[in-house]
Amino acid sequence: MKQPAADIVIDARGLEPPEPMVRTMEALDRLADQQKLLVLLPREPYPLYRALEVNGFSWQAERRSDGTVAVLIEHKKK
Amino acid sequence: MQALLSFAQSPPLDAPFRFFLTAPLFAILAGMLMLWGGPDLFASRWTPAALALTHLISVGFMLQVMLGAMIQILPVFAGANLLRPRLVVPVVHATIALGALLLVAGFLSQQAPAFWLAVLLLGSGLALFIGAAGHALHHVPATNPTINGLKLALPGLSVTVGLGILLAVGLDGAFALPLLQLTSLHLVWGFVGWGVVLLAAVAFVVVPMFQLTPPYPAWFARCFAWLVLALLCCWTVTARWPGPSSLLAGAVVLSVAAFAVHTLQLQRCSKRARFDATQHCWRLAMLCTLAACAVWFTGVRGPSLTARQEWLCGVLALFGGFMSVMIGMLYKIVPFLVWLHLQNLGGVHFLAPNMNKVISAPQIRYQMQAHFLALALLLAAVVWPRWFAYPAGLAILIANLWLLRNLLAAVGFYRQQGQKIAAMLPATPATASR
Repeated sequence: MKQPAADIVIDARGLEPPEPMVRTMEALDRLADQQKLLVLLPREPYPLYRALEVNGFSWQAERRSDGTVAVLIEHKKK
Repeated sequence: MQALLSFAQSPPLDAPFRFFLTAPLFAILAGMLMLWGGPDLFASRWTPAALALTHLISVGFMLQVMLGAMIQILPVFAGANLLRPRLVVPVVHATIALGALLLVAGFLSQQAPAFWLAVLLLGSGLALFIGAAGHALHHVPATNPTINGLKLALPGLSVTVGLGILLAVGLDGAFALPLLQLTSLHLVWGFVGWGVVLLAAVAFVVVPMFQLTPPYPAWFARCFAWLVLALLCCWTVTARWPGPSSLLAGAVVLSVAAFAVHTLQLQRCSKRARFDATQHCWRLAMLCTLAACAVWFTGVRGPSLTARQEWLCGVLALFGGFMSVMIGMLYKIVPFLVWLHLQNLGGVHFLAPNMNKVISAPQIRYQMQAHFLALALLLAAVVWPRWFAYPAGLAILIANLWLLRNLLAAVGFYRQQGQKIAAMLPATPATASR
């Protein structure tokens, strides 16, 4: 599948917890209304989904053949 | 920073912590029991004191850590939430803690009422946990080996508990049960069907994640739990026929050894320049597991395992394998949870302190060394009980007092930082995570 268009990309594969969460949350703080953030992770990030829900973001997750989970995040449409 | 947790869905901090803080208390009791029992405790694995010691570690220390970790892992790794955790968790914790104490009292006093009460408490507490975890996992598709392993560990625990109950009620000889055979089944299902399956399921995520290694081979992770459980079922069914039963038992032991070898190989590819305490604990655990497998194979070449070989296998697997892994994991899980909940308390206003500050690195290192020394002394006590039984008991006591001290330090850190955050936050209604 083609890489989704994103304004900010975080490759968090190979980072030790809590670094992936910290970097993602810091990027979300800076994410403008029309921007998209792509996070690449080695597994399904269930706690991140909940954090996104709580903070008013929507997301699409895609599982790739190498096991990478790509999560494309943006602000919820009002 | 954004809020990290939804408190409606995530377990509160005290849910796993009450289990983690109780676990070392049982290991401290194990050390005290060894000091009380002395060299005689090692005469046979069937002495009341030896059975009490085994269960202080397996039902006391290990079960507390495993259930505490599972309560935390279910939502994080599988997106599965226990229903009404604030009700279920304290009940499970209280019943299994009290049940474990009564079970040990039963072994030491040989009083039937203690066994009956222990069975009632452990049976009901674990049934509640298995029901709650099973319900949480029921609708989660097994999209990865960890979710699959978590699901398959529950039948392993159920069989272990069922056999344990059968053994407890059959101890007075009223039902003419084949107690020796049932004991072997209980032990192997507990060690492998529950313990190793759960450990492997967790390892498939936490080894690459915390030790910065490549992932386990996909085929191995996908097949491991199914293979082990299938072999265990066949072994159980063929228990009456020595030939097939020995072959299947050998296959189970080889599967466990294969898991240890894969983990050691992955550790060699870690991106971290120097091993941390968790990695040292995992490496020792896997080496002990391999040693236990080797002792077992050496033993079965003779007519049966000697008493020393049985003791060596048990000590290597319980103290060297499971306990070492669990101590190593506690030093990752506990600081991470403290950090996560502090960060959530602070929200956008406050950056939580670095995870490495939750428990000081030297204290972790000293405790780990104390655990390694205790294990070495315990192995020596198996061979030379007169010389090493008391030093081993004392070392286990000290190592686990130290573990408790380190875990309490993490709780103290959380409270202290939580108060600081509360003082710094603007005057808005406080969000509590406990």
